Amino acid sequence: MSHPPIDLLQGTVDVLILRTLAWEPMHGYGVSRFIRQRTEGVLTIESAALYQALHRLERKKWIRAEWGLSENNRRAKYYELTTEGRKQLRTEAATWRTYAEAVFKVLEPI
Amino acid sequence: MSGRFLRLPWRSPSRRRADLEDELRFYFDMRTRELMEQGLREQDARREAVREFGDLEYTKQYCLAEDAMGTREDRTTDIFAELRQDVVHSWRTLRRAPGFAVVALITLALGIGATTAIFSVVNGLLLRDLPYADPERLVRIWGAHTDSKQERGQVSAADFVDLKARQRSFATLGAFAWGGGTYIGTGDPVQLAGLRVDATVFQTLGVKPFLGRTFVAGEDSAGADPTLVLGFGAWRRVFGGDSAIVGKTVNLSGRTRTVIGVLPPLFFFPTVAEAEIFAPLDLTPVLRDVNRARKFHNLGLVGRLRPGTTFAQGRSELTAITRQLEREHPDANTNMSVATVGMRDAVVGDARPALLVLLGASLVVLLIACANVAGMLLSRAVSRRQELAVRAALGAGRARLVRQMLTESLVLALCGGATGIALAFWATRALIAAAGEMLPAASQVAVDGTVLVTALLVTVGSGIVFGLIPALAASRGMQLALKDATRGSSGGVTRYRMRTALVTGQLALAVVLLVGAGLLVRSLLELQRNDLGYSVDSVLTFEVNLAGPRYTSNDAEDQFFDALYTRLRALPGVSAVGGSGNIPLRGGSMASLAIHGRPQPEGKLPEVGYQPVSDDLFRAMGMALKRGRTFNAGDNGSAPRVVILSEGLARAFWPNADPIGARIRLGPNPTEPWNTVVGIVGDVRLGVAGDPRPTAYVSSRQDHWGGAAVVVRTAGDPMALLPAVRREMKALDVTLPIGSPASMSDVKSNRLADRRLPMQLMIAFALLALTLAAVGVYGVMAYSVAARTREIGVRVALGAQPRNVFGMVLRQGLGAAVVGLTLGLLGAAALGRVLAKLLYGVTPTDALTFVAVAAVLLAVTLVACFIPARRAVRVDPLEALRSE
Repeated sequence: MSHPPIDLLQGTVDVLILRTLAWEPMHGYGVSRFIRQRTEGVLTIESAALYQALHRLERKKWIRAEWGLSENNRRAKYYELTTEGRKQLRTEAATWRTYAEAVFKVLEPI
Repeated sequence: MSGRFLRLPWRSPSRRRADLEDELRFYFDMRTRELMEQGLREQDARREAVREFGDLEYTKQYCLAEDAMGTREDRTTDIFAELRQDVVHSWRTLRRAPGFAVVALITLALGIGATTAIFSVVNGLLLRDLPYADPERLVRIWGAHTDSKQERGQVSAADFVDLKARQRSFATLGAFAWGGGTYIGTGDPVQLAGLRVDATVFQTLGVKPFLGRTFVAGEDSAGADPTLVLGFGAWRRVFGGDSAIVGKTVNLSGRTRTVIGVLPPLFFFPTVAEAEIFAPLDLTPVLRDVNRARKFHNLGLVGRLRPGTTFAQGRSELTAITRQLEREHPDANTNMSVATVGMRDAVVGDARPALLVLLGASLVVLLIACANVAGMLLSRAVSRRQELAVRAALGAGRARLVRQMLTESLVLALCGGATGIALAFWATRALIAAAGEMLPAASQVAVDGTVLVTALLVTVGSGIVFGLIPALAASRGMQLALKDATRGSSGGVTRYRMRTALVTGQLALAVVLLVGAGLLVRSLLELQRNDLGYSVDSVLTFEVNLAGPRYTSNDAEDQFFDALYTRLRALPGVSAVGGSGNIPLRGGSMASLAIHGRPQPEGKLPEVGYQPVSDDLFRAMGMALKRGRTFNAGDNGSAPRVVILSEGLARAFWPNADPIGARIRLGPNPTEPWNTVVGIVGDVRLGVAGDPRPTAYVSSRQDHWGGAAVVVRTAGDPMALLPAVRREMKALDVTLPIGSPASMSDVKSNRLADRRLPMQLMIAFALLALTLAAVGVYGVMAYSVAARTREIGVRVALGAQPRNVFGMVLRQGLGAAVVGLTLGLLGAAALGRVLAKLLYGVTPTDALTFVAVAAVLLAVTLVACFIPARRAVRVDPLEALRSE
């Protein structure tokens, strides 16, 4: 690990989870593994924060849950993006992109 | 993909906790395994997984809180979604059974419509604020005689002045006297009912005028300019709603008055709602006349209690002052007191008991209507058992099914309620039109917000009442239904019992209403049978008030009436014409009586009825002359005074002697000459229910009232005579209007209106109740016969005769009728007291009425059972046995 892991804000965790679930329905463990692999360990979401976020997003009806069978035939709670969640992801992603571009415009001259 | 996802069903708190534990355990197992793959030993891997997870306890709490919140929200949206689903489903179900829906709708609309219409009257008169400022602090004060039950009399001017000066309870006390007038404009002269009021009356009532102003202090004194305040109705009707009327002058009974204001639309004068014009009242002439100041009772009083003073304090203070006055003026005030009545009671008066009885009756009709619809729903539940069972099998819980059936009832109730309210708008207007004198302030009655909200509550309430029983019954019977598709199973028996109970209750309620209606009919018949002492058939009556400078002398008055009577007598068909101060149906006046040669009684003289009458009045009225003679043209102003007594008066004061030739003095003035008794006539009743009043009649040539109630006896329709009468009046004096022309029988009929309307409504309610109950009996018997087809088939197969089968069904129906009848008659006997105030000449437990009601009810039950019984007789045993 060349960089130390970055602590993430709550809103960032939410948008990352939404983006992850946009690929396919996953259980909580799957989401955490996916994000770890995808960012090559730069972004680690503390699992406590991840599960809190999953239940929060479920309450907001951006994702919904159902019990299913995992790859190794165990009972697991699968989360799936709802239509509303998909809409939310689109707006949050756009906001993120604008935010990142703005930050870069300031940082670039270095 | 998403189709695989159904929302998780509602989870209990313990279930949510277990789910969360499962979810986290799965995570830790997977993470431990991953770490072991990286080379850790299992124990270390597990410890590392827990360590890197973060705050586990907080996370659990957080997640459970989120889950709980989410579940609650889901629950709410679920309920709304289900409600919508239920409403749509109910609507479809009702559309599939239009016959049932229409009958149920009509039934409910009649029940709700009747209740709403009556309630709008009750609301207008008993609940709504009176159109005065702070009406609960207002009182109406009447003169009262403590020796008789007379509590609605008038107060003398001197007594009023003393009451006003000595009392401390009232902020203001105002007096008014009767006194309308004839408006002489460009068209026909119009007679207007009105009052003369002192300057504080409108201030006491707290009325804000619609236009202009009301009277101010000093405007009621002798020297003031003649002014006039108009009621809203008269302003619209007679003066065309002229917005510039204030300041204009009008000719009223020959006197020019300046209009200073118009009263607001909803205003009505308390206890004299018909008054439309108001002129100032000047008491000084009466107060100056020593004989009239305390003995001439012509004032009505209104008072406004001071803040902080109770009604009881005000009343007892006034009573105490009248006791002082009694001691100070024994000759005038012995047995004189005042009756102080709260304004609401004063205004509503006799209408209250009738209204409450009718409201109760309409609620009973509504209850019967609900029972009917409940019965229909019970029957329908039978045919819907399979549908319900299927829904139950698909996962609908019992609560959900009850809720769905209740929704159906509510949809039905709301449709019925909407129709009922529409009906009530029309019925309320019809009621006001029919009520006439029964409603003291018809302007206050309308279907307003309060009425609509109440109607809505009643609608929803009745939906629950008639929906709950069948819903519970259906959901209970549901478990059995899928197994057993035959009819008449055990579930059917409970349902049949329930329906029989409903029908029995309906019959009992209908009986109560029938008894009520019967008693009111009997009362009215008794009243109409009352011998009034004269005949009302083929008699025209109208009022003439001589106004203007032409009639200032007694001779002019005599000449006018002589000429009028002569002209009217010459009209074709007319057999007799007379005139009197008042006709007995419209009240009378009183005078004190002193008898020549007898010692004066202690204190005050006795009071008797007093009427000035024309020569031929007794013949025109059809009153019998018992002894002596009637008046003639010789009994004029210069002749000795004469008087004719009623039989009752003669009997009361000359029990063992012949009064003819005796001399009496009438009225308080001791300088009046003595009158010699010349004749005795039969007694007449005052009003329709009153007792005959001992009365002294004097000649209208010897006591001039400036007007008369004219009585014309004719051969045919009295109203057909009216154009000719108008012609003769115009020929005599074009400025004189004909006041309140009516046939005497109509006047009598109007006097009975306040009894006839409640009776008619009660009959309508009772018939409605009876019809609904009969439909209920028919329904339950038809259902019973259908359910027992097989049993009847077996009986017929075993040799039962059609006669037996027929009798069996009838017995069953009559059984319910007898139980209902017994309960109903007991109920009616218990509730009789409620009606007592509306009855005349019958007791609340009148045997004839009870027997008649029993006969009617049994007959109607038999008719209702007839069709089902015939159907039972026609059951073909072979088919009945094969069909199941």
